[in-house]
Amino acid sequence: MTRAEFLTRLRRGLNGLPPETVDEIVADHEAHFVEAAAKGRNDPEIAAALGNPERLAREVRAEAGLARWEAEKTPGNAVAAMVALIGLASLDILFLLPLLVGVVSSLAAVFVAAIAVFIAGGVVFVAGPFAGAPGGPVVALLLGVGVMALGVVMAAVTAVLTIWLVNALVWFGRLHYRLLKPALQQSNSGDI
Amino acid sequence: MPDGIEIQLKKGVLGLCVLALLSGRDNYAYEIAARLADDIGMGEGTIYPLMRRMQTDGLVETYLVESQSGPSRKYYRLTDAGRRAFESQKAEWTSFAHAVDGILNAPTPQAAGETA
Repeated sequence: MTRAEFLTRLRRGLNGLPPETVDEIVADHEAHFVEAAAKGRNDPEIAAALGNPERLAREVRAEAGLARWEAEKTPGNAVAAMVALIGLASLDILFLLPLLVGVVSSLAAVFVAAIAVFIAGGVVFVAGPFAGAPGGPVVALLLGVGVMALGVVMAAVTAVLTIWLVNALVWFGRLHYRLLKPALQQSNSGDI
Repeated sequence: MPDGIEIQLKKGVLGLCVLALLSGRDNYAYEIAARLADDIGMGEGTIYPLMRRMQTDGLVETYLVESQSGPSRKYYRLTDAGRRAFESQKAEWTSFAHAVDGILNAPTPQAAGETA
């Protein structure tokens, strides 16, 4: 692989990161080629030692995605972290994918069910007192509040499980990819 | 992945090695990469993301030095936080390595039954 080809493929792979970050990373690798060539190594040899530029770029992007999730646990960042990990396109992830799809769709189903339960509770709460429910209006009101509370609890449990799942995936990714920040961080930084 | 532990081990010490090299003197990435590739068999490609991360974490900072031949070089130096991180990680590593050595070099224990 020539120097130009390596740098072009690296730049293409980094597409999506802030442009100044991409420029910096590409410049670092270009400098590497210059220094190595000055030591008498040729371009194909240098490129081979650096590794596959697409893989390098994917790992840098994955790291950026995971860092965002760890800084702020928002749904958007959860999606970014998932996409980043799946972007690594590793066999491990492909192997895990069916399992993952199952878990994610169950979580989604429970979440939808939670919303439905909440709405049903709301209907009982609003309509129950007028519908002549057995036990009278007070029982209908309390029943409505109880069902809505159940919906909220279901949603909360789903949210907690989802956060836990994304964290587990992030940890798994860290453990397996050499460039990512070590999963078992040294205790001095205390940033977990 | 069978080499998970090895990756984790190397990843863990790689940062420490970079801190150690920079604690001696400021250096540029190619020198660091070449040194680590020769000595501990790290892929040269791993060094650039690591340097970026250490910079983001505030452990190192960069400055440019004009060079007679070719473009100016980007040098890395330790920050105060980097120096503290080096001292504490070095102490951690030393006690860890010492403990592992102790286990590896311990005389084979006699089976309890044989001595009786």
